[in-house]
Amino acid sequence: MTTTTDVRAAARVVDAVKVYGGGDTAVRALDGVSVGFPAGRFTAIMGPSGSGKSTLMHCAAGLDTLTSGTARIGDTDLSTLDDRRLTLLRRDRVGFVFQAFNLVPTLTVAENITLPLDLAGRRGDTEWVDALIDVVGLRDRLHHRPAELSGGQQQRVAVARAFAGQPDVVFADEPTGNLDSRSGGEVLGLLRRTVRQTGRTVVMVTHDPVAAAHADEVVFLADGRLVDRMDAPTADKVLDRMKAFEVPS
Amino acid sequence: MNASVRLSASSLRAHKRRFAGTFLAVVLGVAFLTGTLVMGDTLRASFDSMFGNAAGGTDAVVRSADAITTPGESQGVRQPVRADLVRAVERVPGVAAAAPSIQGAGQLVGADGDPIGGQGPPTLAGNWITDPELNPYRLAEGRAPQRSGEVVVNRGAAEKGGLAIGDTTILRTPDPVEVTVVGLATFGGEDGMAQVTFTGMTRADAEKYLTARPGEAATIQVRAGPGVGQRELVDRLTPVLPEGVEAITGQESAAENTDMISSQFLTLFTTFLLVFSGIALLVATFSIHNTFAIVVAQRTRENALLRALGASRRQVTAATLVEAAAVAVTASAAGLAGGIGIAAGLQALFPAIGFPFPEGALVISALSLLLPLAVGVVVCLGSALLPAARAGRTAPLAALRETAVDTSGASRARAVTGTGMLVLALAVTLVGVLLSPSVWLAGAGAVLALASFVVLGPVASATAVRVLGAPLDRLRGVTGVLARRNALRSPKRTAATAGALMIGVAVVSLFTVFGASLKATMDQTVSRSFAGDVAVSAPSFGAGGSGLSPRLAGAVRELPEVDTAVGLGRGVAEVDGEGRALTVTDPAALNRTFDLGTVHGSLDDLGTDGIAVTGSEADKRGLTTGDTTRLTFTDGRSATFTVRAVYGQSELAGDYVITRAAWAPHRTQDSDTLVAVSFRNGVDADAGKAAVEKIAGQYGNPEVQTRDEYAQSSAGGIDMMLTLVYALLALAVLIALLGIANTLTLAVHERTRELGLLRAVGQTRAQLRAMVRWESVLVAAFGTVGGLGLGAFLGWVLVAASDGASDSAFAFALPPVQLTVVALVGLAAGALAGLRPARRASRLDVLRAVAAE
Repeated sequence: MTTTTDVRAAARVVDAVKVYGGGDTAVRALDGVSVGFPAGRFTAIMGPSGSGKSTLMHCAAGLDTLTSGTARIGDTDLSTLDDRRLTLLRRDRVGFVFQAFNLVPTLTVAENITLPLDLAGRRGDTEWVDALIDVVGLRDRLHHRPAELSGGQQQRVAVARAFAGQPDVVFADEPTGNLDSRSGGEVLGLLRRTVRQTGRTVVMVTHDPVAAAHADEVVFLADGRLVDRMDAPTADKVLDRMKAFEVPS
Repeated sequence: MNASVRLSASSLRAHKRRFAGTFLAVVLGVAFLTGTLVMGDTLRASFDSMFGNAAGGTDAVVRSADAITTPGESQGVRQPVRADLVRAVERVPGVAAAAPSIQGAGQLVGADGDPIGGQGPPTLAGNWITDPELNPYRLAEGRAPQRSGEVVVNRGAAEKGGLAIGDTTILRTPDPVEVTVVGLATFGGEDGMAQVTFTGMTRADAEKYLTARPGEAATIQVRAGPGVGQRELVDRLTPVLPEGVEAITGQESAAENTDMISSQFLTLFTTFLLVFSGIALLVATFSIHNTFAIVVAQRTRENALLRALGASRRQVTAATLVEAAAVAVTASAAGLAGGIGIAAGLQALFPAIGFPFPEGALVISALSLLLPLAVGVVVCLGSALLPAARAGRTAPLAALRETAVDTSGASRARAVTGTGMLVLALAVTLVGVLLSPSVWLAGAGAVLALASFVVLGPVASATAVRVLGAPLDRLRGVTGVLARRNALRSPKRTAATAGALMIGVAVVSLFTVFGASLKATMDQTVSRSFAGDVAVSAPSFGAGGSGLSPRLAGAVRELPEVDTAVGLGRGVAEVDGEGRALTVTDPAALNRTFDLGTVHGSLDDLGTDGIAVTGSEADKRGLTTGDTTRLTFTDGRSATFTVRAVYGQSELAGDYVITRAAWAPHRTQDSDTLVAVSFRNGVDADAGKAAVEKIAGQYGNPEVQTRDEYAQSSAGGIDMMLTLVYALLALAVLIALLGIANTLTLAVHERTRELGLLRAVGQTRAQLRAMVRWESVLVAAFGTVGGLGLGAFLGWVLVAASDGASDSAFAFALPPVQLTVVALVGLAAGALAGLRPARRASRLDVLRAVAAE
């Protein structure tokens, strides 16, 4: 399968292989995946558990290294970077939203949002950050601590944090996995709106067809391989595609 | 195995590292304690056997029955006996031999011109007793002295001074005597009686130089014939002895000598060390308590699950206690082994640094094994008691809840209790210091102040960290903010961690402040009451040194540069039945060279029956000028003295002053402790000092010092003492630092996911390390600042209480340089303690940290 090249890719992996362990117990989590995540789009990575979707995201984001193949953010080949440069790249060009435990409990909402900027010693674009706070709707909570927020609010703060530094790409790992459907819907809508309004790129790993339906495009992984892509997904279409994995054809 | 034991065993196996800090703290404390006890016992046993060996041939000792003991001295001064009593003793049936023993002070000058010893242990001289059985010293090399001027020296002293057989040197008795070394001696098989130096001369020389009147001896040593026991010998001797003279057995005499060394030196030595191991263990208590508190907090879910599955409170508590007991027992056992190792090491080390340590096996009594073991276990279990109880109280539902942030530390009740205690402490202390001076009241206040600091710690830690950490925000940006907030996270934990360091720093500052105050006091004393230009003093710290020749003052007075030179000698007498030190001098000249404060009456004409007394002693005894008081001297004679003057200041001049003429009939070996010299008007200070030095050279070359030098050298012992105290306190501070490092390591473990998140969103390893390190520095800063404050306060209490409780005025001084050094060392130590946890934290794998449960 080839990557789409008509739009510039914000992040991409080529012939990505990731092997955990060695010898008889070696597991090929990624088995030659090549995929690009086009800029300005919201892409969802789906697949049954154990398909390698989280591994793909971690390697594409520079949190983990590939056994072979290349991963790029923009034009930067991640395999050429040492730990320090990888850290700086994550700080300056990548945003993250994790499933849970996204916020530093000792920092306020406002401090959590600007954390990557503060770590870089940058002031950042204050208008941008200000606008973000309105988009996520947390202006009245800026000086609260994470423990004082609901799970949905916490994830919205995490989304604002991910976009604060105007990153090339935001990676979200099951961002709604711990939320009820209403809060989850808010967070997904927020991701989608932000992509639309600001032209940022989001890559989201999920196993929930409803969540995937918020994306512009869904890529399907199974057994460490890219098996399909779907434009303009709906929950039903995604669910049907997923069912195909459960009964191998 | 029951369930609790099984649980704690598996938990211990799984989390060995968590207890590394606790383990080390207990090991260090117990090792120190064991080492002290074993050392003390070994030294005591060695001295016992040494004196036993040395006095083995002496079956009875005949001596003057009464001794006059002045306050602050353990051994009284005895009047000599008539040496010709030997003849009467020899005629008693059962006596095989008897010999007079003449003893006095005699300090040898080494080959390099410096005196040997004199910095504590006595420097003795005496007659060389020719009967080898009666002489505690044995001739090891050379021969006994036969002609005048020949001496035998104990081998340790000879080695120290670089003297060999055939060498000629000076013996200060304190009049300089030229002597030739003809033999070297040992004492009880050792090179000397500890650090005591001994010079043996012919009997004629000893009588001439060491006694005030010929024909006197300190004691008569008696050896029994075959079949006569020591007790029997004493019984036979007693009837022939004149009144005021007694006989004791050789064993009693040896025991007295051992007791003297034990009480003067060993007891002090071991008590001193025990106090410091107590401080170290107190500090360890904090660290241990903290470790268990954190471990229990971290295990809340696990314990809740156990409770939900049906474990009783008792079982959960027991599991934690069993864990603590296992750590306690293994650590205490390791500490015991370590302590014995320390004692063995010191035994090997002491001779290498020139301190003769009696040989012999280490004495390890049951007490020195059981006590440290018990203390180690009690400290460890006691510290774990509260956390264990808390573990038992875990609600089964806690398994389902997210662990909440601990805010328990800053409760209102705590703030109120702590403040109340602090106010009470201040009140008690101030009453004890200012209103009705009492060391006990002040001490109780000090202990209460310490306790209130511990109670208030968690309340204060939030504010303190916020204030101390304020500059961090600007200096280190978000890293600083994170460090500060982390330190604020659990006020109780921060306070307990800092509390350990606080106690260590408090004790260090207490001694620093007290030492500086003592120095300032000495300085003040000298500058206030010493009106002379130079002082000649023989350094006599403790019982050592032979003092100054009483003829030195006279010789200096003859110099054309000198206006007055007055020598101060020391005598003892009972005043109204209480032993008191007398200053023997020329009172008129004393008044010119020293500022004696307001003088009622006159010191010019005391004569042989006049005495001058300080105001405070006069008040105590209800004496005014013109009253009479009765003095009893060591020779048993009494005389009535008329108070001719009452003076204000006693610091250098002493409480009672009599003339040399009045003292002469009762004198023993004559010596001055200080010669104070004033120059004539217009005499250049350097020229005057040089002239005095030239004369002093002829009298055994004692040190000539200007006023400032004299003040400084008076305080010399304090610095030595402080150095020793700092070395001993280093252990407590080390334990406190281990506590900080351990708490941080546990905190890092606790915050694994958070650290992973920070790394994921772009915190560099260097930033992460800095964050952990600064947290450590902040905690240390809190402990250090608290400790400095507390220590300075306790120092003031100690100084003020001493001031109130004694007649001499104490000055209070806060040494800025030393205290700044203490503060910097505290902060640097904090940074050091943070190194390892920071490194561990920065090595976390980002992915694993984010995924960690």
